[in-house]
Amino acid sequence: MNNPVLILELALVLAGAAALLAVWRLLKGPGPFNRAVAMDVLGLVTMPMMAALALYSGRGIYLDVALVYAVLSFLGVTALARYADRGL
Amino acid sequence: MNVLSFLNLVDLLVCAVVLIAAGGAALHRNLLSAVVFAGVASLAVSFLFLRLAAPDVAMTEAAIGAGLSTVIFLIAVRRTQETEEEDR
Repeated sequence: MNNPVLILELALVLAGAAALLAVWRLLKGPGPFNRAVAMDVLGLVTMPMMAALALYSGRGIYLDVALVYAVLSFLGVTALARYADRGL
Repeated sequence: MNVLSFLNLVDLLVCAVVLIAAGGAALHRNLLSAVVFAGVASLAVSFLFLRLAAPDVAMTEAAIGAGLSTVIFLIAVRRTQETEEEDR
């Protein structure tokens, strides 16, 4: 159990399972705002996948992509929430 | 499991998510749902760019595709109409 690659594989499997559940909600959700929540969850789950990929490949620039996506997915979901409030 | 084949399995799953999201964006009648599907497709494509060792392209895709184009599409849907018209 002291293999660091095994930990990365376990993290990717767990994040992938969470992403599959979010995709299920994305396909099934009756309205667009259920799908907006699913998009938010997918963004949240993809960030640790990118971080695990950065840790695996040893390139720190991959963490910046996760950072940019974290800032900007917030923008998209906030715009959808403002649309739901009829205030965009 | 070998790490290379494991990461290829993750890539296949992300490609499946791209296919599902693009089909949803093309086929949905509710334009808000189509915008959300387009955002998910952009997120998954950004992850694939990261896997192809192009972090700058992935960062641009995350900034433009997921952040800006979702907001711009939302403004466009807000100014026109929310559902697509039936085919004549």
